[in-house]
Amino acid sequence: IDVSGGPKLKQYGKHRESCLFANLPNYTLRGADASGGVFLRTDWQIQGYSLEQADVIEKHASSFPLNAFESILKQLQKLAPELHTVHFLRYLNSLYHDNYSAALENLHRYFDYSSGRYEIALLCLGMMHFHFGHPKQALEVLTEAVQVSQQVLFGGRWWVEGDRCFVRDGGGGGAVVRSSSELLNNNTQSDDNCLAYTLTAISNLLSEIGALNATGILRSSYSPFSSIGTSLSVQQQLFILLTRSLKRAESLKLKRLVASNHLAIAKFDLTHVQRPLLSFGPKASMKLRTLPPNVCKELRLCSHLITEFGTESSIMTTEGALSTSWLKNLKKPRGSLVLSQENVSGSDTFYFCAQQSSIPGSVQQLLGSSYLVRATSWEMYGSATLARINALAFATCYADTSSSADLALAYAKLIQHLALSKGYKEAFAGLKIAEEKFLSVSKSRIQLVKLQLLHQRAFHRGHLKLAQRLCDELGTLASLATGVDMELKTEASIRHARTLLAANQFSQAALVAHSLFCMCYKFNLQVENATVLLLFAEIHKRSGNAVLGIPYALASLSFCQSFNLDLLKASATLTLAELWLSLGSSHAKRALYLLHGAFPMIFGHGGLELRARANIAEAKCYLSDPSFSVLEDSEVVLEPLRQASEELEVLESLDFRSQKPSFQLYMLDFCKDL
Amino acid sequence: MDTKETCRNELRMAIRHLSDRCLYSASKWAAEQLVGIEKDPAKNTPSHTRFQRGSSSVRRRFRTNEVMSTPSAGVSYVSTPSVTLDEDSDAVDSDVYLLAKSYFDCREYRRAAHVLRDETGRKAVFLRCYTLYLAGEKRKEEEMIELEGPLGKSEAVNRELVSLERELSTLRKSRTIDSFGLYLYGLVLKQKGNENLARAVLVESLDSYPWNWNAWSELQSLCMTVEALNSLNLNNHWMKDFFLASAYHELRMHKESLAKYEYLQGIFSFSNYIQAQIAKAQYNLREFEQVEVIFEELLRNDPYRVEDMDMYSNVLYSKECFSALSYLAHRVFLTDKYRPESCCIIGNYYSLKGQHEKSVMYFRRALKLDKNYLSAWTLMGHEYVEMKNTSAAVDAYRRVVDTNPCDYRAWYGLGQAYEMMGMPFYALHYFKKSVFLQPSDSRLWIAMAQCYEKEELYMLEEAIKCYRRAAGCNDTEAIALHKLAKLHSELGRSEGAAFYYKKDLERMEAEEREGPNMVEALMFLATYCKNQKRYEEAEVYCTRLLDYTGPEKETAKSLLRGIRVEKSGFPSMDIEHFPS
Repeated sequence: IDVSGGPKLKQYGKHRESCLFANLPNYTLRGADASGGVFLRTDWQIQGYSLEQADVIEKHASSFPLNAFESILKQLQKLAPELHTVHFLRYLNSLYHDNYSAALENLHRYFDYSSGRYEIALLCLGMMHFHFGHPKQALEVLTEAVQVSQQVLFGGRWWVEGDRCFVRDGGGGGAVVRSSSELLNNNTQSDDNCLAYTLTAISNLLSEIGALNATGILRSSYSPFSSIGTSLSVQQQLFILLTRSLKRAESLKLKRLVASNHLAIAKFDLTHVQRPLLSFGPKASMKLRTLPPNVCKELRLCSHLITEFGTESSIMTTEGALSTSWLKNLKKPRGSLVLSQENVSGSDTFYFCAQQSSIPGSVQQLLGSSYLVRATSWEMYGSATLARINALAFATCYADTSSSADLALAYAKLIQHLALSKGYKEAFAGLKIAEEKFLSVSKSRIQLVKLQLLHQRAFHRGHLKLAQRLCDELGTLASLATGVDMELKTEASIRHARTLLAANQFSQAALVAHSLFCMCYKFNLQVENATVLLLFAEIHKRSGNAVLGIPYALASLSFCQSFNLDLLKASATLTLAELWLSLGSSHAKRALYLLHGAFPMIFGHGGLELRARANIAEAKCYLSDPSFSVLEDSEVVLEPLRQASEELEVLESLDFRSQKPSFQLYMLDFCKDL
Repeated sequence: MDTKETCRNELRMAIRHLSDRCLYSASKWAAEQLVGIEKDPAKNTPSHTRFQRGSSSVRRRFRTNEVMSTPSAGVSYVSTPSVTLDEDSDAVDSDVYLLAKSYFDCREYRRAAHVLRDETGRKAVFLRCYTLYLAGEKRKEEEMIELEGPLGKSEAVNRELVSLERELSTLRKSRTIDSFGLYLYGLVLKQKGNENLARAVLVESLDSYPWNWNAWSELQSLCMTVEALNSLNLNNHWMKDFFLASAYHELRMHKESLAKYEYLQGIFSFSNYIQAQIAKAQYNLREFEQVEVIFEELLRNDPYRVEDMDMYSNVLYSKECFSALSYLAHRVFLTDKYRPESCCIIGNYYSLKGQHEKSVMYFRRALKLDKNYLSAWTLMGHEYVEMKNTSAAVDAYRRVVDTNPCDYRAWYGLGQAYEMMGMPFYALHYFKKSVFLQPSDSRLWIAMAQCYEKEELYMLEEAIKCYRRAAGCNDTEAIALHKLAKLHSELGRSEGAAFYYKKDLERMEAEEREGPNMVEALMFLATYCKNQKRYEEAEVYCTRLLDYTGPEKETAKSLLRGIRVEKSGFPSMDIEHFPS
């Protein structure tokens, strides 16, 4: 009996759900038969159905109907009271509906009945705490999971020491158990797998909570990090953990886990500055740098998965291992994907659904994530087009299979790109679509983009008070705990400093930038510090201390160079040119030279604002060059100015618009002189 | 007519009514209470004296308040509802009814129902419905055993419920139902899951006829919260006191329950039932000595009793009274070995003998006989733990908490099992559950504290909090104070450590206990007081230490020397070099 829509999914989204419920009455009917003593289903069929439902819940997350499913579960429980997968489904259901206590209860209940798969119980509990945003508990539990798996694996057996009292029913203090003998000897492959998954989960957790003052969490002698040593920074520990879990996954031939690890390493390489963990001898390089080729390589290795996915040794067959199905992709999927369908054109849907039948959803999700990481990496390295293409590729190809959090991220990237290259009108139009698409779920990401856009626009229009307020709002999205949401906190601070700078509050802007720099330094956010240094240069430039600004710009430049941040480097070069220019007309030639060097990058990948600034700077360079004659070569000046004014028009920038007439006056002055 | 006489007359009548309607267990209960009432010495027949002889000593021992033998002034009972069960009056039962009752007694329920098919009298209608209900129950049980699964599929239902509900509700609407019919209606409604109506119907039944203990028990099982109990609007009848006592017990309000039973004992001085219930309450208050005495008496008066004896076996087990447990086990084995209680007792017996496999077998048998017999699951969990089969233990405990989420012992067992498996953090969840349900039990707090103390967790602050709670409850084994002192000194908080060592010392003195803890406390306090320059106190502690042999004595001596030197204000060297 085919109890659900099953694997032959013709269509997606709402159809799938209706499929599920279309079968419900059918199901209850059969349930009634059962009381007649005839059982039409075996436990295996129910188990298969449960497995499938687990996948569906994970995919639809909070949009999965909570109460309706609960009644199905009740039916199931009646049909097969000795089959405990129901508890697991109930756990998943409450997890995705953010019902902490119910999730906790059912998780414990399920694994209490699972007779000895307690490592997996710990792994799941850890992931659950992670999901609910309790990183400390999560790490605690995952550490315990590692210990238990290791005891089972490497000890082969374990011992319980000491005497122990058990409460007899009614509780005399009576029976003393002298249990110094073997309790468990369960050396199976799945324990090994579990350990691999746990290590990956810990790495993900660490990279998620980032530089959270982890020494408080990672207690030396009992953590899996004991052999690594405590002198290393969290990032270094994380790196070692990542490579170890990759190796373990490789040796166990867990393809999905390998891919997931590659992806995690790519993410790690992207933002974390490499330096030799241990330097031997005087020649050891101490230079800090990021390695884009590594990122590339990891991403490529991750994508290899698609050719190999079929062969992963299955650990899904036993009941207890059901839990791993949602760990395949160690992510926090949230929200609905049901709605994502309308946007994709019909033919595409067909094509990708056809693919779906042959490639497991989790594999697709993983591949999708790799595209997102690609987009992020190109954003950093400075190729706007490649970033956009990857985000687009993700949104079109992997929208059905990916988690809605990922999808929201892709949309956010695309919207930001629109704002930078096409102006706010288009960006807000895009935002509207995204907001409708994601409705209430996964709001935080879209909310963030909205605030970013609003802030940028207010900033450009010169509504600085509003900009400041929006910037504060942006800051409230970040968690209060130190070391968490660092990206967001950095961004909010940068925006804050920029806004202050625009209001000519130089010393306050410098103060904010300074504390930001300290924070980035403390948490080892080297890449972000390149931006902060540039901010310092800008502050000095605007406050008229060009001489003081130049070292900052140069420092930023060298950071950009080591970390391969090409677009930021172009932007720093522009600032440097502007600084030289403001030192006097004698430096105009040098400034122009610098500027022309950065032009390919700026015009190829830069946003409207950057391009406008570059154009204006170029015109200024020409004009301040004493050997330059406007009359002879007016187009050389007028062309960039015209372009700049166009770009600023699109950007609705009041800041620059107010400058535009002054340029025309400037031009007039020159004409009069002649 | 005094209370006792009233009760006696009412019970006599009730027994006749109940057994006439084949409500045998209720009639058994009533009869037990009837003979439990103290007789007028004048009317005593020889058989009565023989029956009541044994109980007197218990009564003397535990009846603290003789005044209670009359109802306290505040309680005014409603006048006993005059029962006009016209059919019960001297009129003879119809022949058909007599036949039906005979069939019933032979457990031929459907035949009995068939015979009564055309009868319209209330009594006959009740018996017909009741036999149908029992026939349905019997079939249900059979199905449950026939269908596969270790403990049967849970979906077997009594198929008579629907038609019975229809008929009884019509009867109730037309007001042609008597209190027994209402009782049956309540029973049916409860099984169908309509708890609110069931409660109302049962209250209705009990208001008109309060002597049906079956109805009270059903009502009690529908009051799982204090609120539900308080919301009942019941007439004041002396039967209500029995009900309340039992309900309080189920709601774990043991003190209140005990008080009620002690009051009732004033009237029903020789009731075995009340004695057993008092034992239950004492057991939950962990007064094992008293429980043991009560059960000894009970067994003397009623040697073939099996009810509640499983609890006695638990007490004997905890106290490791091997011979008494063996005697009990052999006795119930001969009396009725296929009763869940008997199986449980025998299981305990084998467990104490160290034959855990056999013991598990008997607990399993107990569960086969009554699958809702939760304490067998818990005990089986304990056995599995002793057999080092932790996952089976976890499974057994989990079945208990799934049926009764308030069973703190099973939660505790789960915590213990996980802690044994080296999962202290995971275990905390279960310990938290158990202390939430029974916050006054120091053992639970101590178990949780030990979990926090584990080297894997090493969360000492939390451990201290737990020990503090444990010390607040009556920690009979006095672990908490010592642990608190130790943890404080480990964390370098000598002031706190001194506080707790002092408390522990005082306690040990009060209980006249000696031992290494005493030496440890004295040592710490001596050093601490010396460092605090409270020399007199330090000297007292040192002097006490001198009574012990071993290295402590030497340390105390040198401490004393140091104190004397510091008191005199001169460094020791000077004194030796320049004797006065």
